[in-house]
Amino acid sequence: MGKALRLDGADNVATVLADVAKGERVQIISDQNEIIAEIEALQAIPFGNKIALAPLHPGDHLIKGGAAVGKAIKPVPLGQLAHVQNIRSLNLDIPETMIREIITQMNIEED
Amino acid sequence: MQTFRGYQRADGSVGIRNLLLIIAADECAEGIARAVADKTPNSVVVTNYNTCMYGGNEEMIATMINAAINPNVAGALVLNMGCGSIAPDLVAGPIRASGRPVETLTCIKQSGTVATIKEGLARAQKLVAHANAVEMVDAPLSKLVVGIKCGGSDTSSGMASNPSVGLAADKLIDKGATAIAGELLELMGCEHILEKRAVSPQVHEKIVQLISDEEKRWHVEGAQVETMSVGNSIGGLTTIEEKSLGALAKTGTRPIQDILRINAKTIEKPTVPGMYLSETTMLCGGSAMHFAALGCQVILWTTGGAGFNNPIVPVIRVSGNSQLINEDIDVDATGIMRGEDSIEEVSEKVLETLHRVINGEKTAIEDFGYAYCSLIQKDQRVERLLGIPTE
Repeated sequence: MGKALRLDGADNVATVLADVAKGERVQIISDQNEIIAEIEALQAIPFGNKIALAPLHPGDHLIKGGAAVGKAIKPVPLGQLAHVQNIRSLNLDIPETMIREIITQMNIEED
Repeated sequence: MQTFRGYQRADGSVGIRNLLLIIAADECAEGIARAVADKTPNSVVVTNYNTCMYGGNEEMIATMINAAINPNVAGALVLNMGCGSIAPDLVAGPIRASGRPVETLTCIKQSGTVATIKEGLARAQKLVAHANAVEMVDAPLSKLVVGIKCGGSDTSSGMASNPSVGLAADKLIDKGATAIAGELLELMGCEHILEKRAVSPQVHEKIVQLISDEEKRWHVEGAQVETMSVGNSIGGLTTIEEKSLGALAKTGTRPIQDILRINAKTIEKPTVPGMYLSETTMLCGGSAMHFAALGCQVILWTTGGAGFNNPIVPVIRVSGNSQLINEDIDVDATGIMRGEDSIEEVSEKVLETLHRVINGEKTAIEDFGYAYCSLIQKDQRVERLLGIPTE
C-alpha cells in the first residue's frame, strides 16, 4: 500500500511518499503521522506528486500546506493526480509548451 | 531549552563561538591575511574580492564590518596594502565602537609583506589572548538570532526539512528567540500570505516592495532566470505558488516583525524578538555572510543533501532525502518521507541539535571545511538602470 502526506488539515491534496500504481490503495497520513484516510489512486502517481483527497471542480482552489497554491481547470475526482494537466497557477502560469513537455515526460494519463 | 552558555560581548550580545576575524580590506592583503590565519587558532579570513576602492563597494565593506561585530566574533585584525582608498580605520572604526578589540596594519607602511605577516601574527596573538579572557555567561533565548535558509532543494525539502524547520522556528519564537529568513525571489506569489503575517500594513508594503525589487534584478528582459524547471514539475511541483509556499514553510507561521534591508546605505538589525524576513541573498555562500552581518549566531539550513558550511556562523544541515543524506547532515528528516516520523518529531530533533550547537557542540562538519566567505553586493549602477530606488 502507498503512503501520502497531508501537510495541513485544510489541504485537499496529499503528497505521495513513493511511486503509486494505478488502482493502488494509498494511506493518507497527517503531519502528526496519524492515518486519516485510505483512498484508491485513479492513475499512476509518481513520488513527490499530489493525490486529490476530495473532488475538485473547475475553479476550485488546490490547497496544500494550508494555502491556495493553484486552481482546477477540469474536474479532478478524488484519487486523481493533481498536476499540470488539471491545475493552473493563480498568478503566473508556466508556458504551455513546458506543460506539454512535463505531461509527455511523466507519461501522465489524461482523460 | 531556555538559556544557552556563550561568550559575553561588550555590546550586550552573546556569541556561541569565540572567533577572531582577519579582514583583508583590499584584495592585495589576502595572502597576508591567510598567512596570519594559518598560525592563529579560531581565526577566519574575510577578503574584499573586488578592488581596493571604497566608491561602489560600500555594501560589501558594510557586510565585512557587520560580520566582524557578529556575536560569534571576539575581535578583528584589519589588513590592507595601503595604496587604495579603503583606509583600515574605515573598517576598524565601527568594530572598535562595538567594544571589540581591533588591530590594523598597512603593508606599505611596514617594510613589506614578510614584515606585515610577522607583525600581524604578533597582533593576532594579542587578540587571541583577549578572546581567551572573555567571560562565559548563561544567556536567555532572547539573545539568540537564528538564520533560516534552504539550498540544494528537492522534493523532500518542501515536505520534510522545510516544514520541520518551520515548526522549530515557531517554537523558538514562542520561547522568545529571533529568526531571520531571506531569499526574496523565492517568495514571489506568497505576498497574500505575507500580508496576513506582517505585523503592520507598513511592513507588508515594505515586503512587497523588496520582493519586487529583487524580481527586477533577476528577471531582466532577454536574460531571464528560470523560476520553475521541468525537473521541479516532474518532482511534483505544479505551480510557482506551490514552490514558493514550500520555501516559505521553513519560516513557520509566526508574525513577521519586519523585513531587514541590506544595501549600500544600511544593514538593518532586528529590534524586538520574533520572525523576520531580510534581503539575505538566495546564493548560499553570500547568504551566510549576510546572516553573519545581521547578527545571527547559527543557521538552520534545509537541503537535499549538500554540505554547506560557514566558518563564522555554524550551519545545522537538515535533509529529508534518503538517497543523498550523508555524514555532513546534522538532522535526519528522512523518516518523514518514509511515513515513519512526524514533522512534529523532526522539529524536536532540530531543536535538540540546535540546543547542543548553541552550547558549544560542533556541527557535523565544523572545523573540517567551509564555503568561501562570499561578499555579495548589488551593483549600484545596475540598480540605477533598473530603476530600483536607493534612499
